Amino acid sequence: MMETIIGKRVPRIDGPAKVTGEAKYTVDIQMPGMLCAKILRSPFPHARILNIDTTKASRIPGVKAVITGRDAWGVCHGFVETPRYPADQYVLANDRVRYIGEEVAAVAAVDEDTAMEALNAIDVSYEELPAVFDLFEAMKPGAPEIHPVEIPDLIGDFRNIGGQCANSYGDIEAAFSRAYLVRKDRFEPELRTHCYLEPQATVAHYDAAGILHVWTSGMGTFRKRMHLSRTLNIPASRVHVHKSWVGGAFGGKIDLFSHEFCTSLLSMKTGKPVRYSAEREEIFSYFRHSQNMIVDLETAVDREGILLGQRVRCYNDCGAYRGSGVVLIFTTWGYLVLPYRMPALDYIGYSVYTNNPVRAPQRGHAAPKIRFAGETQMDMIASDLGIDPLTIRLRNARRPGETLPNGDNIRKAGLIECILQAAEKTDFARKYEENRALQKAATHIKRGIGMGASGYFTGTLIYPNNSAAMVKFNDDGTVHLLTGALDIGQGAETILAQIVAQELGLGMEDIQVVSGDTDATPVDIGSWISGLTLVTGNAVKKAAEDARRVLLASASEALQAAPEDLEVRSRRVFVKGTDRSISFAQAVSRHIRDNDGDPIVGRGYSRALKEAEFGPSLKNAKGTWSESYAFDAQIAEVEVDTRTGQIRITKAFTAHDCGFPINPLLVEGQIDGQASMAAGQAAAEEITVKEGVTLNPSFLDYKLPTAHEMVEAQYIDVITEAYEKDREFVTKEVGEGYVSGILGAISNAVANATGKWSTKLPIKIMPGKEEEE
Amino acid sequence: MKRGSAKTLEKEKGSEKIIALTVNGEDHLVPVEDRDTLLDVLRNRLSLTGAKEGCGTGECGSCTVLVDGKPVLACLTLAVGAVGKEITTIEGIAASGKLSPLQKAFIDHGAVQCGFCSSGMILSATALLSDNAKPSRQDIQKALEGNLCRCTGYNKIIEAIESVKDKK
Repeated sequence: MMETIIGKRVPRIDGPAKVTGEAKYTVDIQMPGMLCAKILRSPFPHARILNIDTTKASRIPGVKAVITGRDAWGVCHGFVETPRYPADQYVLANDRVRYIGEEVAAVAAVDEDTAMEALNAIDVSYEELPAVFDLFEAMKPGAPEIHPVEIPDLIGDFRNIGGQCANSYGDIEAAFSRAYLVRKDRFEPELRTHCYLEPQATVAHYDAAGILHVWTSGMGTFRKRMHLSRTLNIPASRVHVHKSWVGGAFGGKIDLFSHEFCTSLLSMKTGKPVRYSAEREEIFSYFRHSQNMIVDLETAVDREGILLGQRVRCYNDCGAYRGSGVVLIFTTWGYLVLPYRMPALDYIGYSVYTNNPVRAPQRGHAAPKIRFAGETQMDMIASDLGIDPLTIRLRNARRPGETLPNGDNIRKAGLIECILQAAEKTDFARKYEENRALQKAATHIKRGIGMGASGYFTGTLIYPNNSAAMVKFNDDGTVHLLTGALDIGQGAETILAQIVAQELGLGMEDIQVVSGDTDATPVDIGSWISGLTLVTGNAVKKAAEDARRVLLASASEALQAAPEDLEVRSRRVFVKGTDRSISFAQAVSRHIRDNDGDPIVGRGYSRALKEAEFGPSLKNAKGTWSESYAFDAQIAEVEVDTRTGQIRITKAFTAHDCGFPINPLLVEGQIDGQASMAAGQAAAEEITVKEGVTLNPSFLDYKLPTAHEMVEAQYIDVITEAYEKDREFVTKEVGEGYVSGILGAISNAVANATGKWSTKLPIKIMPGKEEEE
Repeated sequence: MKRGSAKTLEKEKGSEKIIALTVNGEDHLVPVEDRDTLLDVLRNRLSLTGAKEGCGTGECGSCTVLVDGKPVLACLTLAVGAVGKEITTIEGIAASGKLSPLQKAFIDHGAVQCGFCSSGMILSATALLSDNAKPSRQDIQKALEGNLCRCTGYNKIIEAIESVKDKK
């Protein structure tokens, strides 16, 4: 029997490098003669640049280059670059700045002090312009114009609309007119941020042959290469993005950032290696936080709590440039209709320009916001109707084989099973009633339990749309896996190596992974749209199968047996049911000898959405989005101290349909991290921005969870798919979807404890109020 | 680290001097300025980049090293103040090439994800276990309170430390 390594708790292969300090992150790279780059930022939220004088700065001894918008006139980039939403952000401000912190100039100098001195010596004259920070103010016809945009199909008389996504179906009027209950609530999850521990950093070295070498803390080397090639106007083949270890990203490192462009251009101008490393305060103040959103949710249900229809308006303040805002208002629609049947919908999402800093995706992108709203309102409706949270979810949850409004089929969706298992394993119904009965009790510590459910997509079409991989045999019978995948902490390299080990009957120690290097490895989809395991995983599986097929053909001749009668294990090829075998090394050697030197290299490739030419429409949400959707039901238990207002999340239970877990240890790690992020957002985390200035630009003031806030976690895998020989596998994402259900669950648990719902995040309990009443 | 304006820099810098630092059992003579932090010197002069700078203001704990066995924040410690003390960085924990039981437990229990906090976490936990072989869950949380991790939610880090504790 072939030993299985898929589904095993295999320790991560990059563990030794990371526990010994050997792992080299971008900030650790040192090169002889390396220059230090610094960036000059706008002090104004909105201003015209009249003049930039760099003469004094350039003359300072040790300053090697100074660049401004004049060096990149008209060069723009965007998270989305389409005819509807063309690139709108300058790599360096040209004649105007639109937020405090926008990059105006950059310098490269022999050391940090000299670079700082040069920044201080750059003289910029601005003419201040009226600015707007509130998204509803920005939408008013008389508001200051941030960009001259036109959305041809704009619904409403609004200004500064960076993007609009509108989608309606079903008979919405009929749904509301026959409703037994209609609830209309506004939800306002506050701005949160990633808090990746490794600061944003880039090292660039333009070599004598005219190749630009780049190391950058990102989420996919091929996407960075595309952006750098476009903005620097050099062929992609002359940009070599090397692998570097990434100290966390959570969505916040996928965009092109100005410092990546500037560091590269400074190296091109000086011919020397240049490093830029952001200060933490810069990251908090000027880099990209999560997208924020205000949700107006009007929901019609019948007497049984069955959803009849929804009117939904979402308002996203994307900041001074679109960033991912126009994607957020599409994915919001997606996570609205994914977990529950929704017969009629009237949805409009607006992404609005303001003079706030630009935003990025953050783990879950829209899902945590819209599911917080949806799950909280679902419990409100249940309470209004006298139904329990479990029953109302079971009545509305999508069942296997259902089709989404865009035509995607959710196939073997395990949502119902997740809800049932989560409720049973946590004794939900009993605890829920018990806590509710104690809401008015005289104790100041109230306990609550709450449920939330969610779904998430698994990969879609956006550049790069595909992944490829190579598995090459070594003379000793071991292999090297060449993959463009970038491990950002999630364990990509480990699970890909497991797939190779499984297919070739090798041990983990027999596989070396070469990864994330745009020159040395084939293209990869990247670690950012929850498609890596599905898309790259299948590419790797095919590459390993291809290598095995050739290996077996060679062994077949040596063993005088048909390839189908052979099996691989322990680095040997056996004739099934016998002791007759040859080693991989012998088979490889034989293949080289008999095939004109061919050393056996397996190739594999895979693409997200095989049938589709394009991804979904950001304008109207039509068209296929994903081939595989994950589902979860999560339960939170909380303790609320009504005297202090403190909310402690004591337990997080996740029942999830991830298809099947390739490595349960890593899957659990993903869930733990997401539960913690959700707990932070529910109880404390909040970026406070006033007139474009971040008021709490530090870890201490932002209050991300510490070891004291550890949430006890439990998990149930609901297995709906299988890993089979010689077939593509269908797996489902685990890295982003589980922030959302648990966020809804925490919100509902606090309501279960206190009797009051919060429509804002973080949840704020008014201390002492209970006692007074 | 934070830098002041150009004018105040001259005062901050002080004169360069050569000091002796004992790091991972080896003596090093290194040129430093008065204002240089221990973290800068370890990373930039001695190429010991295992200690990380996550914030530069003593909030995240990524720069944690041991000074005379106690965890300190290298980003807030002046290099000149570490003269005559035993400094241990993550590179000194598996000096013989063999991982410590705690390092191994971090890998086996999934306590490492992106790895950026791991050096500091392991050093804080190493110091805890050398003071207290059987710490309670609360002792562990207390010992790690200055080490931020955004990936793991701390669950598997605490589990890893508890697994080593149980073996002692």
